[in-house]
Amino acid sequence: MFNIAAKRIIKEIKEVINGDQVEDAALKLELVNDNWMDLRGEFKGPPDTPYEGGAFKLEIKVPETYPFNPPKVRFMTNVWHPNVSSVTGAICLDILKDQWAAALTLRTVMLSIQSLLAAAEPNDPQDAVVATQYKENPELFAKTAKHWTNIYAGGPNHVWEFNRKVEVLIDMGIEEHKARVALSTNDWDIEKATEHLFS
Amino acid sequence: MAETSEAKASTSPPGGDAGGEEDKRDERMLECNICLDTARDAVVSMCGHLFCWPCLHQWLETRPSRQVCPVCKAAISRDKVIPLYGRGNTKQEDPRNKRTEPENTSAFPGFSFGDGFHMSFGIGAFPFGVFTSTFNFGDSRPSAAPRGTAQYDEEQFLSKIFLWVAILFVLWLVFA
Ligand SMILES: [Zn+2]
Ligand SMILES: [Zn+2]
Repeated sequence: MFNIAAKRIIKEIKEVINGDQVEDAALKLELVNDNWMDLRGEFKGPPDTPYEGGAFKLEIKVPETYPFNPPKVRFMTNVWHPNVSSVTGAICLDILKDQWAAALTLRTVMLSIQSLLAAAEPNDPQDAVVATQYKENPELFAKTAKHWTNIYAGGPNHVWEFNRKVEVLIDMGIEEHKARVALSTNDWDIEKATEHLFS
Repeated sequence: MAETSEAKASTSPPGGDAGGEEDKRDERMLECNICLDTARDAVVSMCGHLFCWPCLHQWLETRPSRQVCPVCKAAISRDKVIPLYGRGNTKQEDPRNKRTEPENTSAFPGFSFGDGFHMSFGIGAFPFGVFTSTFNFGDSRPSAAPRGTAQYDEEQFLSKIFLWVAILFVLWLVFA
C-alpha cells in the first residue's frame, strides 16, 4: 500500500535530511526497519536550558490516517520536565492532540517538542511530581534536569553532587535508575528517598 | 584548522546553481499543504492556503466539529474555498462537484445506495471505512453530467460495476 501517509513520510524525511534551515542541522529523522509507520527522531537540547548539549531521541508512530490524524510521539530518552512523563516518556503537547493540523510535519513537531523543553507549561503537566518541583523549587528542578541530561542524553554538564548521592544509594544495593528517580522525586534528600524505596 | 575548512567545504552546496534553487522554490509554491505534492483539483482558502480538493475534503471530514485551515487555523468551510483553473484545463469543472476519491487510498470505501441504505465493510480489526470517501449511487447525488450524455451513461455504467463489486464482496465475505 502506498498512500498519502507513506508518500508524505518519505518526503518529510528527505526534507529533514536536505534541510536548508539552520534548525534542521540539529534534527535527525529515520525509518525503523524500512517501515514508514515507525520512525526515530532526534533533536538537540535547546541552548541556555538545562537540556543544552543533550541529544534527545523520540519514538514516532505514524497512523495510516496521517496527516489527517497526528503521529504518536514519545521520548525514548529519559527526560526531567513537567510536560514529559519521567516514567513513560509520554508528552503533553496540544498539537499532538486536539490542536493537530494536517499541514504540520514531523519536522515541525520535533521543533515544537524542542521548544517545549525551553518553555515548560507546569499548569498543564504530564508529570505532577516534576511540575511541583518546577514550581516550588525551580533551582533544584533545573539542576535535576541538567543531571538527567548529562546521564541519559549525553549532555556535557555534570552535577557531581547528584552523582555522589546516586552512588550512595547504589552502594545500598539499589539499581541506578531507580535510585536516581527516588532521589529526584524526593528533592535529593537521601533519607526521604531511601524511605520511599523501602516502604 | 584544516579540518574545519574541509568540513565547511563539504557542507556548502556544490556549484552556484541559483536557477535550480529558484525553480525548486517555485514548484513548492504550488504544493498542496496536506499531501505536499503538486496540488491537483486545486482550491485556495480565504486565508490564501493552497490544497488539493480531495485532501482538504478529507481534512474537513476528519474533524467535522472543528473546521479550521490546516495551515493557519483560520475558519474554513467547503463553501468558502475558491477552485483554481489553470490554462489548458479546458473542462473547468468545480472540483467540489466531483466525487472525491483520494487516489492514494487503498481502503474500500463505504457504499451507500440511494436513501438510507448504507453499508460499510470490515474484516477483523481492520475497518475499511478509515478513509472517508463515499460513493453515492442514486438520485441524491448531484450529477455533474446531464442525462443522456456520454458522461452520464459512463457514470451509470460505473455505478453498476461498483454495485456488482459490492455484491461479490459480500458473497465472498459470507462464503469465504
Ligand atoms: Zn493534496
Ligand atoms: Zn490558512
